[in-house]
Amino acid sequence: MILSTLSSLLLTLCAAAPAGAEAGLAEVCTPGNAWLAQDPPAEEQGAESEQEEAAEAGESAEPEADPEPNPYLAIVGGEVHTVTGGVLARATVLCKSGRILKIGPRVRIPEGAEILDAHGMRVYPGLVAVESFGILRGRGPSIADSFDPFALNVDLGLAGGLTTVQTGDAIAKLTRGTLDGHLLATAPWTSLSYGSTSPSARRKLRQRLEGAQEYLRKVREVEIAKQLGEKDTPDVETKGVDMEAVKLLKGEKTARFRANSAKDLLAICDLLESYPMRSVIFGGREAWTLAPRLSRAGARLVITPRAKSWADDRLNRPNGWSIENGRVLWDTGVEFAILPGQTSISLGGLAGRDLLTLPMEVAFAIRGGLNQDAALRSITLDAARILGVSDRIGSLEVGKDADLIITDGDLFDYRTFVQWAVVNGRIAYDKQQASYFAHIRPRPEATAEEVAAEIADALIKAGAADDGGEGGEGDGPR
Amino acid sequence: MLAELLLAALPAALPQDGADPPVGRATVYRLDSIETLDGKVLTNATILVREGVIERIGQAVVIPDHARVYDLRGSGSVAMPPLVLGQAGMLRQTTSGGGLRGKIKGIDHLQISQDQMADLREIGVLLLGVEPGGSGIPGRTSVLRTDAEAPIDALVHDLHLKMTLDISKSSKDLLRKALKDADAAIDKEAKAKADWEKARKEWAEKQKAAKEGGKEEKPADKVEKDSGKESSSGRGRGAALRQEPEQEKGKDGDNKGKEQEKGPPETFEPPKIDPNLQPVVEWVRHQRMVQVRLDNAGEWLHWLDVIGKRELPWEVVLVHGGSTNLAEVVDDLVAHQVRIHVPARISTLPSTRIQQNLPALLARAGAERIVLTPTSSGSINAAKDLRVLLADVVREGLDRSVALRAVSVEAAAALGQEDLVAPLAAGAPASFIILDGDPLDPQARVTHLVAAGEILYDRKKAEAAENRE
Repeated sequence: MILSTLSSLLLTLCAAAPAGAEAGLAEVCTPGNAWLAQDPPAEEQGAESEQEEAAEAGESAEPEADPEPNPYLAIVGGEVHTVTGGVLARATVLCKSGRILKIGPRVRIPEGAEILDAHGMRVYPGLVAVESFGILRGRGPSIADSFDPFALNVDLGLAGGLTTVQTGDAIAKLTRGTLDGHLLATAPWTSLSYGSTSPSARRKLRQRLEGAQEYLRKVREVEIAKQLGEKDTPDVETKGVDMEAVKLLKGEKTARFRANSAKDLLAICDLLESYPMRSVIFGGREAWTLAPRLSRAGARLVITPRAKSWADDRLNRPNGWSIENGRVLWDTGVEFAILPGQTSISLGGLAGRDLLTLPMEVAFAIRGGLNQDAALRSITLDAARILGVSDRIGSLEVGKDADLIITDGDLFDYRTFVQWAVVNGRIAYDKQQASYFAHIRPRPEATAEEVAAEIADALIKAGAADDGGEGGEGDGPR
Repeated sequence: MLAELLLAALPAALPQDGADPPVGRATVYRLDSIETLDGKVLTNATILVREGVIERIGQAVVIPDHARVYDLRGSGSVAMPPLVLGQAGMLRQTTSGGGLRGKIKGIDHLQISQDQMADLREIGVLLLGVEPGGSGIPGRTSVLRTDAEAPIDALVHDLHLKMTLDISKSSKDLLRKALKDADAAIDKEAKAKADWEKARKEWAEKQKAAKEGGKEEKPADKVEKDSGKESSSGRGRGAALRQEPEQEKGKDGDNKGKEQEKGPPETFEPPKIDPNLQPVVEWVRHQRMVQVRLDNAGEWLHWLDVIGKRELPWEVVLVHGGSTNLAEVVDDLVAHQVRIHVPARISTLPSTRIQQNLPALLARAGAERIVLTPTSSGSINAAKDLRVLLADVVREGLDRSVALRAVSVEAAAALGQEDLVAPLAAGAPASFIILDGDPLDPQARVTHLVAAGEILYDRKKAEAAENRE
């Protein structure tokens, strides 16, 4: 029974993968709440042309000028899932000094570059956990001081494909073996309580926001008066104004809620419509029942596809959990990220229910109808957008941080292992070197001849591209 | 007495071929084998000792008349430099607590009886380095000889400054703050000195002008007396300068003319530094070594993070228990070319059963200055097990000569006692132990402990004395 379920899932996945690849993933959907869009790094503009430009720009910057020893890392021959620029077959990702320099099927590899042979493998952006517990210690901007770069949980996180996690309001990378580049940013979150169980808390929050809105109105009046040349404009009184609420309304901070029931979600939608602000709602189990409303309110969610609450038959409306939650939200244009039931990581606990196997949680959303590209976004780019760091991570684009994972199969297949994880352009994890999974389906070592043949092949191609003129470099598959 | 012994050991270069007539009675040890620990093993060899120094060593040594001869040949006797425990934390009382406590000395925490000292001599230990307990910056190491009458006879009271680090903001902040405060103290002193020099110069010019103007010069001894008064007050020079007029007013308010003639002190009195911070300041000035204690690979990276790019004198004391991931940073550790103290034990990778020989990994990676320590746990028994542990790491891949050096001459060098314990050669201090077998054989026992020519332990005599009792 279980076997048949799994095999049917596998069939679905296998059927979906080539279809997605062929489509080229050209039509990248964007959620409807465009007014909230965070610094999109030209992700909607067709990454191919961008790569082309950058490839040409990169051509002039040759390695001789760089005093740093061997800053290059090339991931060669893999099926590259860029998230924003489609899927490139047998492509090379060239990283330099922690960032992505070039992506494409014909990228010339500089001399002395470290090479990862990814033939037959898939390359994805490093996964992003919008919340985690116990992977990293410490919190806030000083999290690097508490970071043990050799901790078991760092290894396990990387083995699970994670390269960036949010913990204690710090967004940090799993920079195994180094403290450099650990902290990415701090989460600009303000936790708000707006549950139906405490009407007084709701009232107080509305009062805070009302006060802040009034304050901002006055500030604007004064500014306009000044612009019109009015003199003697008094400064606006800040006494009694909740400056945290002001930051929320100015979009400098993000309101963070926890809500699962339709009732609470609706209340939050009301609040967001009255006081527009960036927001993220953790939970959202009944979000599928009011997805259009959430979309209008510009809410973003962090959902757990397997989190269950049974439907109450006495309610005369759809309610309870649904495996289709992710699919419905995507179709309605609500941006969301996915987290497993437990946001910790360990070798104990319920197998497949924590951050050791984040893609498995997402696989259940795919099972519920979510398309595979959206599924990938929910743990890469969209998670990064919710954290406000999509300018740095979340997709494979020229100029972004070289955080990526190389898997031996489809990311959402239960058999797939992360073979390598690269963080800041540095190999942070190698399945064969880490002692925990190396013995499970060990990676077949390529023979020296195979490696030599592949490198020669790549060099010939690169040479041909050079001779063939400028147009060829960096083009994606047509 | 100790000082005398040391002095006796100091003149290292001795007559090689009778250039000067030898003085004093010679003592001769005839042995089956000598581990000189400078790369040679001499068999059927002799050590000729005179005046606390090895005069001759080798297979063809002429034994002088009237020499006292210990003929130990045929008993499997082996001589080597004595054992040195550079990290003898097991001998101190259990202390905890953290913070900046630089004024504490290891000897303050020492808890050792004369019997235990005798035990240590019996196992061939001549020197001890005892660091204070606790975490953060707990204080300085004291160096003792095992034949000290009382701990107060320590050779050095305040050697290396101990630091510990764990992966936390508070722990790192403590070290960062200490460094910052030390920098500030140094800046303050430099500024005070500049002020003093300026004041001094101005005063001198004023005096000169006054002299030229025909005024009577103030007697110099008066100035000195005043300066003495100020320095004895112990206040920083900057403060003293500021307070000067007030003091003068308080003393003799109307005597304004005299006040003007009074100059700044002739010798510069540096501002007083918190005694707990003082050793850190000395560290920053490259006058003191720091021993940082690390027990995992993460701590190593955090240590590098704390000191940043600063060039400071430090060495590493690895204090891991049985399980360690220090192998992750072996290459980096070795690349820093610092002395590394490492427990003589086989350790296990965390969460695995994979065993590794950290001392051997370090040696293979090219570490040149390795000191092997007993496991950090508990009592004097840990020290007694040292040779057994050593045999273990040698069996599992550590070079034998590296291992023997690491528990004797290297450990002595780490304590700055090369004048007392050094590889056995002509001209070297006559400090060695004699065992009745291979030093790595657990059955072999120490029969003699000789320090700068003086026999501190003789098993036969000790056993005879015991039997009499």
